Amino acid sequence: MTGAESTGRPAAAGPPPTPTPGPPSVPPGPVPGPLEPWPETVRWQPISRDLIWVELVRLAVVLAVVVLVAVIGWALSGHWLFGVGLAVALLLGAVRAFSIVRAVRAWGYAERDDDLLVRHGLLVRRLSIVPYSRMQFVDVSAGPLERAFDLATVQLHTAAAASDARVPGLRPAEASRLRDRLTALGEDRAEGL
Amino acid sequence: MSDAPAEPGPRPSAPDPGPPREPGAAAPYPAVPYPGPPPYGGAPPYPVAAYPPTGAPQPAGPYAPPAPGTPGGPEEPRRRLHPLSPALHGAKSLVVVIAGLSWSTLSRVGFGWFAAMVAVLAVGATVLSVISWYNTGYHVVGRELRVHEGLLWRRTRAIPLERLQAVEVVRPLLAQLTGLAELRLEVVGGGKTEAPLAYLSVADAAALRERLLILAGRAGQPGAAPAAAAGTAAPTGPASAAAGAPAAPATVPPGRPLHAVRNQDLLVSQLLTPQAFLLPFGVAFVVAQFLSEDSWSFIAVASTLTAMAGVLLQPVRRVLDDWNFRLARDEGTLRVRNGLLETRAQTVPLDRVQTLRATWPLLWRMKGWLRLRLEVAGYSIGEADERNRPDRLLPVGELPTAEMIVAEVLPGVQLAGLPFSPPPPRARWLHPLSRGALGAGLHDRVFAVRSGLLTRQAAVVPYARIQSVRVVQGPLQRRLGLATVHADTAGGPGAAAEDRDVAEAWAIAAELTRRSHAARRAG
Repeated sequence: MTGAESTGRPAAAGPPPTPTPGPPSVPPGPVPGPLEPWPETVRWQPISRDLIWVELVRLAVVLAVVVLVAVIGWALSGHWLFGVGLAVALLLGAVRAFSIVRAVRAWGYAERDDDLLVRHGLLVRRLSIVPYSRMQFVDVSAGPLERAFDLATVQLHTAAAASDARVPGLRPAEASRLRDRLTALGEDRAEGL
Repeated sequence: MSDAPAEPGPRPSAPDPGPPREPGAAAPYPAVPYPGPPPYGGAPPYPVAAYPPTGAPQPAGPYAPPAPGTPGGPEEPRRRLHPLSPALHGAKSLVVVIAGLSWSTLSRVGFGWFAAMVAVLAVGATVLSVISWYNTGYHVVGRELRVHEGLLWRRTRAIPLERLQAVEVVRPLLAQLTGLAELRLEVVGGGKTEAPLAYLSVADAAALRERLLILAGRAGQPGAAPAAAAGTAAPTGPASAAAGAPAAPATVPPGRPLHAVRNQDLLVSQLLTPQAFLLPFGVAFVVAQFLSEDSWSFIAVASTLTAMAGVLLQPVRRVLDDWNFRLARDEGTLRVRNGLLETRAQTVPLDRVQTLRATWPLLWRMKGWLRLRLEVAGYSIGEADERNRPDRLLPVGELPTAEMIVAEVLPGVQLAGLPFSPPPPRARWLHPLSRGALGAGLHDRVFAVRSGLLTRQAAVVPYARIQSVRVVQGPLQRRLGLATVHADTAGGPGAAAEDRDVAEAWAIAAELTRRSHAARRAG
């Protein structure tokens, strides 16, 4: 195992991407990750940190329900298992809250000349490369919680069901700019199937 | 077996309410790129079917300037499906009803009640299908096929013919007996088979198929919508002449014959499956049950037999489906004809082939056999009835045959000559046994991956068909410095090069992106 690691690590860990000064690009924050290929040509844009709050509120709602059930059950039955359940739920919630913060920071996208790059995921890291010409349609959506934080999600659909190009946590202005750009580029280069 | 009543002429025992069709409705069908008068424009074979122009006014607005493919009147009248269709649907539901009531119900209520229940349900189903038949109509408007259906919830589906991927004529057993056929359309982006027109007479189905394909082909001419630009299913010249001939159920598909699978090989190949190997045990179990229990019941044996039939369903189905498998090349399309009880004629445009898969099952290797399958856009992965996907390219065959077929589908590609390279040695932590079976390679025109220790599989994706590229790295892969590269295609899982070195994965991803871009530009 160690031998494998010693050979594997350098390739994976690579040099951290030097934040190339780009026109509108915010320099990538302390992105934990070796998952940026081609650092010299790709400028990753981070998504809004407000998404952390959106996700945290979502988590809090779920957690509140679980905690409520556990507390009521504990109060009524007095069984110690409810107490254990409560503790486990709180522990998992804390872990999840921590990973939300890191996951949102890990999420990024980059617009290249011919394709859109989206990377996300902490445990399982994913990078999608979607050519503009393969775009079938673009979705811009914003749920009530996202709207409350002034955010929107852009999703690019291709003919392949497996394509995974979703960029959450964009400011509405940036979302519509991205949508318009994608649509324009897509029409420009449409090649369909 | 497969040639059922060829002439659709006077059908036996047809309670045909409408006046008989003109005998040669499809015979004078214009063959060569659609020069003549529209075959359906003026004289609909069923005058009954012309709906009175009640109901909502047709939204003819955007279609007012009729497409070049439809000279003739502003809108052709709707046509009904064949009048025998409700009877066939009723008979089909009878099978479902019997299966639903199951053996145990039969034993509980006795035969008389069982028959009565089945009869009531079947009559009900038939009445419903008569109503739905009465309210179903179809017609071609401009470049669209419109299908109207429903009594309470009226539904009109407009199927844009530019997006037509393939049209197939299916003839289930009952339809063969009555001289009918079902027409299935496959459309890009459709979640499932759109608009199965069930049922039409064979001649009508063949003629409508040709007409739809020609209309779809028009859309594919340069300058048309780019999404359809791939020059869809344009059967041209003598090809469509052959296909337009009404005697559709001939066993040889039109075009240049490529290959015919020997039925003997097919049988042997399906005997070489795990299911068939389990059969003796099942028989032994039934016999043991029969011998050991004095009071063996009909129900017990019937249930056991049903369970065994369930296990054997797949091989038996494959034999039935792939019987008399004939493959032909017809200009830019592949024509497949197969089936014992249910003959199918499938037309697959070659430029819509997204992925080619070759499978070497363990037991077939002693014979040196393999199976070839296709993935075509427009057929969803999760379609309930997998048998309807036109994915068969070669149910069983030897490598030279497969190479010949592969060369037709993807010129310049050789299965034996694909440049597979294995993942780095440390991938053995994830694949202790099958690391050697994994492989991926970039060929001139295609991306190829292989996998599977026992059932070896290879997937070949032309660069021009790649929709997007993904690089995925799980936690274990991260520890080992590995990553998996996926090439996504429409209508299937695509190909995945598993557990490559991370640096190599980036290189593959970059190369795939570059080459797919170049291939699309060139093509």
